Amino acid sequence: MSQLSLFVKSGFVKAPLANGIGRYVPQCQRMTLKFCLGWGNSRGVRDFIQHDLIEFVKQNPGTVMYLKPRRHRSPVLVAEYLNGGREWFSLNDMTREEVYKWVDLYRTKAGYPDMHFKNYQHSDIPSIQGYWTPFTNKPADRNMLEFPQNSLNTPLNLKPSTSEIISKLYGEPQEQRSSR
Amino acid sequence: MSASRRVQQWLTFTRQWWLFDAKWQDPFESAKVINKHLKGAHKPIFGGHADCGDHVVVINSQDIAMRGDEWYYRVYFHHTGYPGGATWTKAWELHKKDPTMIIWKACYRDLEKDLTRRGRMQRLHIFKDSNIPKDIIQNITDQIPQLRTVPKRLKDYSQEEIEKFPKLFDYPKEHVLD
Repeated sequence: MSQLSLFVKSGFVKAPLANGIGRYVPQCQRMTLKFCLGWGNSRGVRDFIQHDLIEFVKQNPGTVMYLKPRRHRSPVLVAEYLNGGREWFSLNDMTREEVYKWVDLYRTKAGYPDMHFKNYQHSDIPSIQGYWTPFTNKPADRNMLEFPQNSLNTPLNLKPSTSEIISKLYGEPQEQRSSR
Repeated sequence: MSASRRVQQWLTFTRQWWLFDAKWQDPFESAKVINKHLKGAHKPIFGGHADCGDHVVVINSQDIAMRGDEWYYRVYFHHTGYPGGATWTKAWELHKKDPTMIIWKACYRDLEKDLTRRGRMQRLHIFKDSNIPKDIIQNITDQIPQLRTVPKRLKDYSQEEIEKFPKLFDYPKEHVLD
Protein backbone atom coordinates (compact mmCIF):
# COMPACT_ATOMS: atom_id res chain seq x y z
CA MET A 1 0.00 0.00 0.00
CA SER A 2 1.43 3.34 -0.96
CA GLN A 3 2.32 5.75 1.76
CA LEU A 4 1.74 8.77 -0.46
CA SER A 5 -2.03 9.01 -0.41
CA LEU A 6 -4.07 12.17 -0.10
CA PHE A 7 -6.97 10.37 1.56
CA VAL A 8 -5.58 7.39 3.48
CA LYS A 9 -3.64 8.73 6.44
CA SER A 10 -0.53 7.02 7.72
CA GLY A 11 0.34 6.41 11.33
CA PHE A 12 1.27 3.93 13.99
CA VAL A 13 -0.70 1.13 15.58
CA LYS A 14 -2.54 2.35 18.66
CA ALA A 15 -5.14 1.10 21.11
CA PRO A 16 -7.55 3.51 22.88
CA LEU A 17 -6.76 3.85 26.59
CA ALA A 18 -4.39 0.87 26.57
CA ASN A 19 -7.32 -1.37 25.71
CA GLY A 20 -6.54 -5.04 26.17
CA ILE A 21 -3.98 -4.52 28.93
CA GLY A 22 -5.73 -5.98 31.97
CA ARG A 23 -9.25 -5.75 30.56
CA TYR A 24 -10.80 -5.47 27.15
CA VAL A 25 -13.65 -3.12 26.30
CA PRO A 26 -15.32 -3.77 22.94
CA GLN A 27 -15.05 -0.49 21.10
CA CYS A 28 -18.01 -1.03 18.79
CA GLN A 29 -21.00 0.54 20.52
CA ARG A 30 -23.77 -0.21 18.06
CA MET A 31 -24.25 -1.49 14.55
CA THR A 32 -27.19 -0.74 12.30
CA LEU A 33 -28.09 -3.08 9.48
CA LYS A 34 -30.20 -1.31 6.87
CA PHE A 35 -31.78 -3.54 4.27
CA CYS A 36 -34.72 -4.02 1.95
CA LEU A 37 -37.24 -6.83 2.45
CA GLY A 38 -37.94 -7.22 -1.23
CA TRP A 39 -34.91 -6.48 -3.37
CA GLY A 40 -32.42 -9.15 -4.25
CA ASN A 41 -29.32 -7.17 -3.35
CA SER A 42 -30.33 -7.48 0.33
CA ARG A 43 -30.67 -11.26 0.06
CA GLY A 44 -27.43 -12.01 1.93
CA VAL A 45 -28.29 -9.60 4.73
CA ARG A 46 -31.75 -11.15 5.12
CA ASP A 47 -30.20 -14.64 5.25
CA PHE A 48 -27.71 -13.41 7.86
CA ILE A 49 -30.53 -12.00 9.96
CA GLN A 50 -32.58 -15.16 9.62
CA HIS A 51 -29.86 -17.67 10.45
CA ASP A 52 -26.90 -16.02 12.22
CA LEU A 53 -27.99 -12.83 13.91
CA ILE A 54 -29.35 -14.27 17.18
CA GLU A 55 -26.24 -16.35 17.77
CA PHE A 56 -24.01 -13.38 16.83
CA VAL A 57 -25.72 -11.05 19.29
CA LYS A 58 -25.59 -13.63 22.08
CA GLN A 59 -21.85 -14.04 21.57
CA ASN A 60 -21.24 -10.25 21.56
CA PRO A 61 -23.34 -8.70 24.29
CA GLY A 62 -21.19 -5.53 24.29
CA THR A 63 -22.48 -4.45 20.90
CA VAL A 64 -26.03 -3.36 20.23
CA MET A 65 -27.49 -4.46 16.90
CA TYR A 66 -30.21 -2.43 15.23
CA LEU A 67 -32.19 -3.65 12.23
CA LYS A 68 -33.71 -1.05 9.96
CA PRO A 69 -35.80 -2.39 7.10
CA ARG A 70 -36.41 0.19 4.42
CA ARG A 71 -37.99 -0.09 1.07
CA HIS A 72 -36.09 -0.13 -2.21
CA ARG A 73 -32.66 0.86 -0.94
CA SER A 74 -29.41 -1.10 -1.02
CA PRO A 75 -28.22 -2.85 2.17
CA VAL A 76 -25.83 -0.91 4.40
CA LEU A 77 -23.93 -1.47 7.64
CA VAL A 78 -23.31 1.53 9.92
CA ALA A 79 -21.10 0.97 12.94
CA GLU A 80 -20.64 3.52 15.73
CA TYR A 81 -17.76 3.41 18.17
CA LEU A 82 -16.96 4.59 21.68
CA ASN A 83 -14.50 7.19 20.42
CA GLY A 84 -17.19 8.84 18.32
CA GLY A 85 -16.12 7.20 15.10
CA ARG A 86 -18.76 6.14 12.55
CA GLU A 87 -18.17 3.71 9.73
CA TRP A 88 -20.47 3.24 6.74
CA PHE A 89 -20.18 0.10 4.66
CA SER A 90 -22.20 -1.18 1.72
CA LEU A 91 -23.34 -4.82 1.84
CA ASN A 92 -24.74 -4.75 -1.67
CA ASP A 93 -25.14 -8.15 -3.39
CA MET A 94 -23.19 -10.00 -0.69
CA THR A 95 -23.78 -13.58 0.34
CA ARG A 96 -24.65 -14.61 3.88
CA GLU A 97 -21.04 -15.67 4.59
CA GLU A 98 -19.60 -12.40 3.27
CA VAL A 99 -22.02 -10.38 5.37
CA TYR A 100 -21.02 -12.36 8.46
CA LYS A 101 -17.32 -11.67 7.85
CA TRP A 102 -17.78 -7.94 7.32
CA VAL A 103 -20.09 -7.51 10.32
CA ASP A 104 -17.59 -9.39 12.46
CA LEU A 105 -14.76 -7.20 11.17
CA TYR A 106 -16.59 -3.97 12.00
CA ARG A 107 -17.36 -5.35 15.46
CA THR A 108 -13.63 -5.72 16.19
CA LYS A 109 -12.47 -2.34 14.84
CA ALA A 110 -11.53 0.47 17.22
CA GLY A 111 -13.29 3.28 15.40
CA TYR A 112 -10.26 4.90 13.83
CA PRO A 113 -10.40 5.42 10.07
CA ASP A 114 -8.35 3.07 7.88
CA MET A 115 -4.72 4.09 7.88
CA HIS A 116 -1.46 3.01 6.35
CA PHE A 117 0.62 1.55 9.16
CA LYS A 118 4.17 2.82 9.06
CA ASN A 119 5.06 -0.11 11.28
CA TYR A 120 3.08 -3.15 12.32
CA GLN A 121 4.46 -2.97 15.86
CA HIS A 122 4.48 -0.11 18.30
CA SER A 123 6.05 0.25 21.72
CA ASP A 124 6.17 3.17 24.10
CA ILE A 125 9.47 1.80 25.41
CA PRO A 126 11.31 0.80 22.23
CA SER A 127 14.56 -0.24 23.90
CA ILE A 128 15.07 -1.79 27.31
CA GLN A 129 18.86 -1.78 27.09
CA GLY A 130 19.03 1.89 26.04
CA TYR A 131 19.46 3.67 22.74
CA TRP A 132 22.59 3.26 20.68
CA THR A 133 24.91 6.27 20.67
CA PRO A 134 28.29 6.80 19.00
CA PHE A 135 29.90 6.09 22.37
CA THR A 136 28.22 2.72 22.95
CA ASN A 137 30.76 -0.13 23.14
CA LYS A 138 33.60 2.27 22.43
CA PRO A 139 36.80 2.21 24.51
CA ALA A 140 36.87 5.15 26.90
CA ASP A 141 40.51 6.00 26.09
CA ARG A 142 39.45 7.47 22.72
CA ASN A 143 38.51 10.65 24.59
CA MET A 144 42.05 11.13 25.84
CA LEU A 145 44.06 10.15 22.75
CA GLU A 146 45.90 12.50 20.44
CA PHE A 147 45.25 11.71 16.80
CA PRO A 148 46.74 10.30 14.60
CA GLN A 149 47.67 7.21 16.61
CA ASN A 150 49.92 4.64 14.96
CA SER A 151 48.62 1.89 17.23
CA LEU A 152 45.10 2.32 15.83
CA ASN A 153 46.32 1.87 12.24
CA THR A 154 46.72 -1.90 12.64
CA PRO A 155 44.46 -3.71 10.16
CA LEU A 156 41.71 -5.88 11.56
CA ASN A 157 42.19 -9.66 11.42
CA LEU A 158 45.87 -9.25 10.67
CA LYS A 159 47.68 -12.57 10.17
CA PRO A 160 51.37 -12.91 11.12
CA SER A 161 53.77 -12.34 8.25
CA THR A 162 56.25 -14.98 7.06
CA SER A 163 59.10 -13.06 8.68
CA GLU A 164 57.31 -13.10 12.02
CA ILE A 165 56.59 -16.82 11.73
CA ILE A 166 60.25 -17.55 10.93
CA SER A 167 61.42 -15.35 13.79
CA LYS A 168 59.12 -17.18 16.14
CA LEU A 169 60.19 -20.64 14.96
CA TYR A 170 63.94 -20.04 14.73
CA GLY A 171 64.21 -16.82 16.68
CA GLU A 172 67.45 -17.24 18.57
CA PRO A 173 70.63 -15.21 18.20
CA GLN A 174 73.08 -16.33 15.52
CA GLU A 175 75.92 -16.83 18.03
CA GLN A 176 74.00 -19.50 19.91
CA ARG A 177 73.12 -21.31 16.71
CA SER A 178 76.66 -21.21 15.32
CA SER A 179 78.09 -22.55 18.58
CA ARG A 180 76.18 -25.79 18.22
CA MET B 1 8.62 14.52 22.43
CA SER B 2 9.93 15.23 25.89
CA ALA B 3 13.18 17.11 26.49
CA SER B 4 15.11 14.00 27.49
CA ARG B 5 13.97 12.08 24.42
CA ARG B 6 14.97 15.01 22.23
CA VAL B 7 18.47 15.09 23.67
CA GLN B 8 18.66 11.32 23.22
CA GLN B 9 17.87 11.84 19.55
CA TRP B 10 20.65 14.41 19.19
CA LEU B 11 23.12 12.10 20.88
CA THR B 12 22.21 9.12 18.71
CA PHE B 13 22.52 11.10 15.48
CA THR B 14 25.66 13.03 16.41
CA ARG B 15 28.08 13.17 13.52
CA GLN B 16 31.38 11.54 14.37
CA TRP B 17 34.75 12.46 12.90
CA TRP B 18 37.03 9.64 11.79
CA LEU B 19 40.67 9.71 10.79
CA PHE B 20 42.09 7.49 8.06
CA ASP B 21 45.79 7.24 7.32
CA ALA B 22 46.12 6.58 3.57
CA LYS B 23 49.84 5.84 3.69
CA TRP B 24 50.63 2.82 1.48
CA GLN B 25 46.92 2.08 1.05
CA ASP B 26 45.11 1.14 -2.14
CA PRO B 27 42.85 4.16 -2.84
CA PHE B 28 40.07 2.08 -4.40
CA GLU B 29 39.91 -0.45 -1.59
CA SER B 30 40.13 2.39 0.94
CA ALA B 31 37.27 4.25 -0.75
CA LYS B 32 34.87 1.44 0.14
CA VAL B 33 35.79 1.65 3.81
CA ILE B 34 35.73 5.44 3.82
CA ASN B 35 32.35 5.51 2.08
CA LYS B 36 30.92 3.11 4.64
CA HIS B 37 31.64 5.78 7.25
CA LEU B 38 30.48 8.66 5.03
CA LYS B 39 27.14 6.88 4.64
CA GLY B 40 26.91 5.80 8.28
CA ALA B 41 26.52 2.17 7.21
CA HIS B 42 28.63 1.07 10.20
CA LYS B 43 25.90 2.23 12.61
CA PRO B 44 22.97 0.14 13.83
CA ILE B 45 20.63 3.10 13.13
CA PHE B 46 21.56 3.11 9.44
CA GLY B 47 18.60 2.93 7.07
CA GLY B 48 17.15 4.43 3.95
CA HIS B 49 15.76 7.51 5.69
CA ALA B 50 18.41 8.04 8.40
CA ASP B 51 20.79 10.93 7.74
CA CYS B 52 23.58 9.51 9.87
CA GLY B 53 26.74 9.93 7.77
CA ASP B 54 30.01 10.76 9.49
CA HIS B 55 32.97 12.95 8.63
CA VAL B 56 36.18 11.25 7.49
CA VAL B 57 39.55 12.99 7.51
CA VAL B 58 42.05 11.30 5.20
CA ILE B 59 45.72 12.09 5.79
CA ASN B 60 48.88 11.24 3.85
CA SER B 61 47.01 10.97 0.57
CA GLN B 62 50.25 11.65 -1.29
CA ASP B 63 51.57 8.29 -0.06
CA ILE B 64 48.82 6.05 -1.51
CA ALA B 65 49.94 2.92 -3.31
CA MET B 66 48.82 1.19 -6.51
CA ARG B 67 49.59 -2.31 -7.71
CA GLY B 68 52.13 -3.04 -10.42
CA ASP B 69 52.08 -0.58 -13.31
CA GLU B 70 48.71 0.86 -12.36
CA TRP B 71 50.15 4.37 -12.00
CA TYR B 72 50.96 4.21 -15.73
CA TYR B 73 47.93 2.48 -17.22
CA ARG B 74 45.12 3.98 -15.08
CA VAL B 75 43.76 6.94 -17.07
CA TYR B 76 41.42 9.74 -16.00
CA PHE B 77 39.24 11.14 -18.77
CA HIS B 78 38.02 14.72 -18.99
CA HIS B 79 36.23 16.60 -21.73
CA THR B 80 35.97 20.37 -21.78
CA GLY B 81 32.86 20.26 -24.01
CA TYR B 82 34.57 21.90 -26.95
CA PRO B 83 35.60 19.95 -30.07
CA GLY B 84 38.95 18.36 -29.47
CA GLY B 85 38.61 19.07 -25.77
CA ALA B 86 39.13 15.50 -24.60
CA THR B 87 42.09 14.82 -22.35
CA TRP B 88 43.38 11.57 -20.94
CA THR B 89 45.54 11.95 -17.83
CA LYS B 90 47.62 9.12 -16.41
CA ALA B 91 47.18 8.42 -12.73
CA TRP B 92 50.75 9.44 -11.91
CA GLU B 93 50.28 12.75 -13.73
CA LEU B 94 47.08 13.50 -11.88
CA HIS B 95 48.69 12.53 -8.59
CA LYS B 96 51.60 14.85 -9.32
CA LYS B 97 49.20 17.69 -10.08
CA ASP B 98 47.00 17.19 -7.01
CA PRO B 99 47.86 14.42 -4.52
CA THR B 100 44.36 14.47 -3.03
CA MET B 101 42.45 13.97 -6.25
CA ILE B 102 42.78 10.22 -6.83
CA ILE B 103 41.29 9.25 -3.50
CA TRP B 104 38.60 11.94 -3.90
CA LYS B 105 37.61 10.52 -7.28
CA ALA B 106 37.73 6.96 -5.94
CA CYS B 107 35.27 7.85 -3.16
CA TYR B 108 33.09 9.92 -5.49
CA ARG B 109 32.86 7.06 -7.94
CA ASP B 110 32.05 4.45 -5.29
CA LEU B 111 29.17 6.42 -3.72
CA GLU B 112 25.59 6.02 -4.91
CA LYS B 113 24.80 8.24 -7.90
CA ASP B 114 21.91 10.10 -6.29
CA LEU B 115 21.15 13.31 -4.44
CA THR B 116 23.00 12.12 -1.32
CA ARG B 117 26.35 11.96 -3.10
CA ARG B 118 27.38 15.63 -2.99
CA GLY B 119 26.38 16.00 0.63
CA ARG B 120 28.38 12.95 1.62
CA MET B 121 31.41 14.14 -0.33
CA GLN B 122 31.25 17.41 1.60
CA ARG B 123 32.03 15.39 4.74
CA LEU B 124 35.21 13.96 3.25
CA HIS B 125 38.33 15.98 4.11
CA ILE B 126 41.55 14.93 2.35
CA PHE B 127 45.03 16.18 3.23
CA LYS B 128 48.14 15.31 1.30
CA ASP B 129 50.28 14.97 4.44
CA SER B 130 49.69 14.69 8.17
CA ASN B 131 49.43 18.45 8.75
CA ILE B 132 45.77 18.94 9.63
CA PRO B 133 44.24 22.29 10.61
CA LYS B 134 43.52 22.53 14.31
CA ASP B 135 39.79 23.15 13.86
CA ILE B 136 39.51 19.83 12.04
CA ILE B 137 41.75 17.64 14.18
CA GLN B 138 40.05 18.75 17.39
CA ASN B 139 36.81 17.10 16.21
CA ILE B 140 38.31 13.66 15.60
CA THR B 141 37.13 11.00 18.03
CA ASP B 142 38.29 7.77 16.43
CA GLN B 143 40.44 6.26 13.75
CA ILE B 144 39.65 3.83 10.93
CA PRO B 145 42.17 0.96 10.86
CA GLN B 146 44.24 0.65 7.73
CA LEU B 147 43.60 -2.14 5.24
CA ARG B 148 47.27 -3.21 4.94
CA THR B 149 50.26 -2.72 7.15
CA VAL B 150 52.82 -0.20 5.97
CA PRO B 151 55.84 -2.32 4.89
CA LYS B 152 59.04 -1.74 6.79
CA ARG B 153 62.21 -1.14 4.83
CA LEU B 154 65.50 -2.65 5.91
CA LYS B 155 66.76 0.70 7.18
CA ASP B 156 63.73 0.91 9.48
CA TYR B 157 64.98 -2.12 11.45
CA SER B 158 67.55 -1.63 14.15
CA GLN B 159 70.91 -3.39 13.89
CA GLU B 160 69.93 -5.60 16.82
CA GLU B 161 66.76 -6.75 15.07
CA ILE B 162 68.68 -7.52 11.88
CA GLU B 163 71.23 -9.61 13.75
CA LYS B 164 68.53 -11.38 15.69
CA PHE B 165 66.73 -12.52 12.56
CA PRO B 166 67.51 -16.23 11.91
CA LYS B 167 69.93 -17.06 9.12
CA LEU B 168 68.07 -19.43 6.84
CA PHE B 169 70.94 -20.56 4.56
CA ASP B 170 74.67 -20.13 4.03
CA TYR B 171 76.01 -18.44 0.93
CA PRO B 172 78.46 -20.53 -1.13
CA LYS B 173 82.10 -19.56 -0.69
CA GLU B 174 82.47 -18.07 -4.14
CA HIS B 175 79.35 -15.82 -3.67
CA VAL B 176 80.31 -12.14 -3.70
CA LEU B 177 78.37 -9.78 -1.43
CA ASP B 178 78.53 -6.05 -2.00
